[in-house]
Amino acid sequence: MAITVKTMHRPEPGRTSYLRAAVKGMSLTLRHMLNPSTVTQQYPEEQTELSPRWRGTHRMEVHADGRPKCVACGLCPTVCPANCIRLVGGEDDQGNRYPIVFEIDEFRCIFCGMCQEVCPVEAIHVGRHFENAEYTRERFVYDLDRLMEQDHPVTLLWDPSDPAGE
Amino acid sequence: MSDNTTTETVTLTVDGQDVTVAKGTTILQAIDQVGTEIPHYCYHPGLSSPAMCRLCLVEVEGAPKLLPSCVTQATEGQVVHTESENAAGMRRGVLEFYLVNHPLDCPVCDQSGECKLQDYVFAEGRERGRSREPKRIFGRDDFGGDVLFYGDRCVMCTRCVRFMEEIEQKPLLTIVDRGTRSIIDTFFDRGLEEAEWGGNVVDICPVGALVSKDFLHKARAWDLKHTPSVCGSCSQGCNIDLHTRDNLVHRIKPRFNADVNGHWMCDYGRGNYEWMNRSDRVEEPTFVDDGRAVQLGWDVALEALEQRLAGVTGGVKAVVSASWSNEDLGAMAKFVESLGGGEIVFRSARAEDESPLRGFPSLARRRDLVPNIKGAELLGMTRVGGDEGRGGLEGVADHDGLIVVLGDDLADQDEFFGSKASLFVYLGAHTSVGASAAHFTLPVSTFAEQKGTFTNHEGIVQEFLPALEAPGSARPASHVISSLVGAPA
Repeated sequence: MAITVKTMHRPEPGRTSYLRAAVKGMSLTLRHMLNPSTVTQQYPEEQTELSPRWRGTHRMEVHADGRPKCVACGLCPTVCPANCIRLVGGEDDQGNRYPIVFEIDEFRCIFCGMCQEVCPVEAIHVGRHFENAEYTRERFVYDLDRLMEQDHPVTLLWDPSDPAGE
Repeated sequence: MSDNTTTETVTLTVDGQDVTVAKGTTILQAIDQVGTEIPHYCYHPGLSSPAMCRLCLVEVEGAPKLLPSCVTQATEGQVVHTESENAAGMRRGVLEFYLVNHPLDCPVCDQSGECKLQDYVFAEGRERGRSREPKRIFGRDDFGGDVLFYGDRCVMCTRCVRFMEEIEQKPLLTIVDRGTRSIIDTFFDRGLEEAEWGGNVVDICPVGALVSKDFLHKARAWDLKHTPSVCGSCSQGCNIDLHTRDNLVHRIKPRFNADVNGHWMCDYGRGNYEWMNRSDRVEEPTFVDDGRAVQLGWDVALEALEQRLAGVTGGVKAVVSASWSNEDLGAMAKFVESLGGGEIVFRSARAEDESPLRGFPSLARRRDLVPNIKGAELLGMTRVGGDEGRGGLEGVADHDGLIVVLGDDLADQDEFFGSKASLFVYLGAHTSVGASAAHFTLPVSTFAEQKGTFTNHEGIVQEFLPALEAPGSARPASHVISSLVGAPA
């Protein structure tokens, strides 16, 4: 392949008028003034509409009496590809299996949503939510209490009335 | 069963494959030899076969109906089909019946992951049950000892009842009621706390009906790493698997060995694992130099020890523990010999009497509650002290020459033990007051953390493999000692 040299012909400084470009730019500005089709979103006053399939930080569903729905079956730590769930099971005073420790490291989480998919009791969910700012890194390891406190909506990847997707 | 014709064989065909077995072998065992497994619950190789689970039914050409393979003897020229429409369809039907009353509570069941019902239904069962009737509910029952009974999960294979009758020969379990109401139960206020081998019913239960209280909800079966090992709780040397997770032993299960323990192990050995998870461990090699404790790693410590050994006088006295492997004890014996020889003693706890397993006469919880007493004795070491594994070290405590302690954690000794010695070397796993005066404290691994062998009471040498990671810089004692054996004495 032959090498060619392309010579750029630029207007010489001092002999150039920017008037045409300025008018072109101003006309666009004026057009937007007259026809305000806004693209800037006034966050946080205005909230983004998240996709129903959005997968954000987790929340744990609770029973009416405040107990977590989790039965510590161990499927979510088993299926988790990022290995971000730590679970220690035990027995509560009513003889039910429950999680003594349930921690999710939201930094390690890749938000694949498999924990929600695999959960046999519809306890752990990924949320439609993205505002997670914290002052320390440690706060991103969500423990059981923290997960139960979360009240943001959950993802609609799976219809709660039809979890098997039939 | 065949009497004096054990060499006689029969040849049969299983799923198109010819197999030759000894006369008297059951079809189920012949199928096993072919390499496939026929589902079964009530049959257990260590127990009698009542042929009541109806799951091992196979089609035999010429037989009018399906035959239970666990009790039917293989005969010459038999043609067996396990995957025929008839046999597989029967299994599918039987499995569906098992699920009529099974609660399907796999998420909260400890057997999940090692459950035969789960496996069989997953492999051959129907995708969905057709039963719409409410399930009968029994709830759970404390059977005493370490055993908890979830009646709803039971498949009524009666392995547990037969184990207590035939092997332990203390019939503490029975079937009460009939039909779908039938259930395993204990007799009124009696329970498995009277048994010494009751933990085995948890192992042989094919489903989650009998579970261990100690292991209840502790870990999932698929998370546990299984390491072949040898039980360290008595001189019987039962073959075991250590089930570990997160560098902790979670439970002990027996491993089959026809010559030593069969399928079984005692409750004492099964429950005696917490010491392997102790955290009060010696972690770094430490030695005292001019009154200061120095921790500069193995190379420096061993070099310093070699120098100190060169100038030591007054003879050697060694204390070992018979819970350490043949290799460790052998290295110790060599080491003492290389220093001109000396007395090597060990102490060990001894129970009042043996507790034998009546249905398996070669197995008992032996009197000596340490695994390698035979190995230590064969190496010329002598047992001292009382039956509780204490005392007997009066001659060593005030010895003014070299004292070497391996493994014995000197729990009954005070901080003056060995304070008159010209050199006191403590090769130990656990920190101890008795080792306060030690000039050298060298961390060694326990048998759960290293490879080695134990010699059991009959002289059978059995290997174990490392299941845990040793803490800090702990090493097998044989490595530490053998690097000293060349040292000038």
